[in-house]
Amino acid sequence: MNVDIIDYESCTAAGINMSSLREALQQQQSGLIKNNLPYSELDTWIGSVPDIDKVTDLKEWQSRNNALAALGLEQGTLRQTLTKLINQYGSARIGLVMGSSTSSIDRTETAYTDLDDTGVLKPKYQQKQVHNPHAPSLFVSHYTGIEGPALTINTACSSSAKVFATAARWLEFGIVDAVLVGGVDTLCLSVLHGFNSLQLLSSNPCKPFDQHRDGINLGEASGFAILQRGGESSNSKGIRLAGYGESSDAYHMSHPHPEGLGARMSMTQALKRGNLNPSDIDYINLHGTSSRANDLIEGQLISDLFPKTTVCSSTKAWMGHTLGAAGITEAIIAMDSLLTGFIPGSMNLDSLDHALDFSIQAQSSSKECKHVMTNSFGFGGNNCTLLFSKVS
Amino acid sequence: MNAKKLTCKVASIGAWGSYFDSWEALQQLLSGSATPDIRNKGPKPTIIPPNERRRAPLPVRLAVESSWQATQAANISPETLTCVFVSGLGDTDLTDYMCKVLASEHKELSPTKFHNSVHNAPAGYWTISTKTMTAANSVAGFNHSVSLTLLEAMIQCESENVPIMMTFYDAPVTSILQPLLSNNEAFAFSIIIYPKSSDINGISISACVNSNEYKAWPTLHSTNSDICSLYEENPSAKILCLAELLTSKKDGAGISMPLSAATSLSFERN
Repeated sequence: MNVDIIDYESCTAAGINMSSLREALQQQQSGLIKNNLPYSELDTWIGSVPDIDKVTDLKEWQSRNNALAALGLEQGTLRQTLTKLINQYGSARIGLVMGSSTSSIDRTETAYTDLDDTGVLKPKYQQKQVHNPHAPSLFVSHYTGIEGPALTINTACSSSAKVFATAARWLEFGIVDAVLVGGVDTLCLSVLHGFNSLQLLSSNPCKPFDQHRDGINLGEASGFAILQRGGESSNSKGIRLAGYGESSDAYHMSHPHPEGLGARMSMTQALKRGNLNPSDIDYINLHGTSSRANDLIEGQLISDLFPKTTVCSSTKAWMGHTLGAAGITEAIIAMDSLLTGFIPGSMNLDSLDHALDFSIQAQSSSKECKHVMTNSFGFGGNNCTLLFSKVS
Repeated sequence: MNAKKLTCKVASIGAWGSYFDSWEALQQLLSGSATPDIRNKGPKPTIIPPNERRRAPLPVRLAVESSWQATQAANISPETLTCVFVSGLGDTDLTDYMCKVLASEHKELSPTKFHNSVHNAPAGYWTISTKTMTAANSVAGFNHSVSLTLLEAMIQCESENVPIMMTFYDAPVTSILQPLLSNNEAFAFSIIIYPKSSDINGISISACVNSNEYKAWPTLHSTNSDICSLYEENPSAKILCLAELLTSKKDGAGISMPLSAATSLSFERN
């Protein structure tokens, strides 16, 4: 694997950009609030991004999901980096891989509440490029001017982890010279009421891996990273995608494999591809949704596979489970620790599940990290693990 | 760096539509046979256990049917295959169901319908039914779904040196969204490919990405009007241009298809 990460940004309830996210992580300041989504009276907590409401000028592209993608793309130096790459290589040589689970179903929901008297979509909602699962890539290509291949990966909660694997393969085969990868998912009634129907939502702020955890909180996020073949950029941050693993549980649509066989495969594959041993991994940002099942199974796997020198945490208590955007959000938190040496704790962890025994604590820590990992597991039993390393 | 040429061998194919229920039947339509009078109802892939099959939405049954056919045609164990599933439009019946319930006063969704609404439901049902634990991707590319999936699958086949199954499926669009996404036909098509170095019997094809070169979808050779309208309106049926290339007897024949606003993907039969 020889792929450099040359820029990245994250936009969540914990902060609309990297600098505010870093501050929130350091201050242990959660972005979760009591559910206030219009027309939803569910008793739960959510991680919403209020600034989305300010993005109202997308015209035929307008949707909450596209607005969050646009907001995320305006953070940090993403636009400058992209412009430079487009000027250098040409827009046809820049690729795009987006991950999402909701795409723009928020807009379809709104359109259905506002049909005309004959039950037809009103003209303002007749947006064919928005009401389809590829909407995030269609919009981001339009917004950024990227004209190379643009693919959307929709594998539920592993979507925006898998974007890194696809991008790495495109770069390896010279299909493009740089890839913008991203993930975007927004809070909408489908996900809130859908997860409620599965009795997975907590009425409290989530407590990943805690003995008394009682469910998940949903959040919304966009995250982006720009990838190039190793050594081709003068702008390198010194972070390399070192490996990835992709697997299936082959067990159940919405319940993880009881022994975590698929998750084990994705982690061991990533290590093998990265030519690393478990003891080489300094930090793992876990999937850690705060559901009873996920955290028990993932935690048991971690204690089975990794030594206690590998520090772990779930950061979902900061911004909630951001579904199709969770993969890249947590990949970014993990890779950022390679630069800062700051490892976020597992906020809201009071007492570790009694059945678990691995290196996780509520408090943050400092450590010079060389290799970090992150897990993302989705409905349909879809798993992805990413490995990032520091290059000197 | 220039784009590397991608080469693989096609091991087998599965296909299902309203007026063909196998790759053989589809080939007859492609070569000019008249459309049968009787239209097929939705497929009932036997590989999905009966309890699950009853609850499985049409897009899932379409995708699993053609996938199962492809594995059976070449006697391939499904669990050896990495897979890429693609739909240009997704499951609009479930989108319609959810949006109607959520626009009503009682927003109580069926948990089964909710988990079936994920775009990777076909990949989920397939891997669960066949006990496949390899990577299963689920992608979308709207009008470029077919070319993007071919690219993704052929790269994965070559870079990871594994056999890959790709399955293209799109179901008729629900009435409210029909004016925007005007597809009326059910269609599914699966192709299993092996790395070029493998010793299987199969047609060898190569693909190249061409930058700064937009191509429109090629015109089909088929004169069957139902096949031509299917090709026109169903995003997944765009694979029929490659299907024609695979059935053509001429080595060295080729086609090009659009990949993005400024790139195309060209195929050659080796």
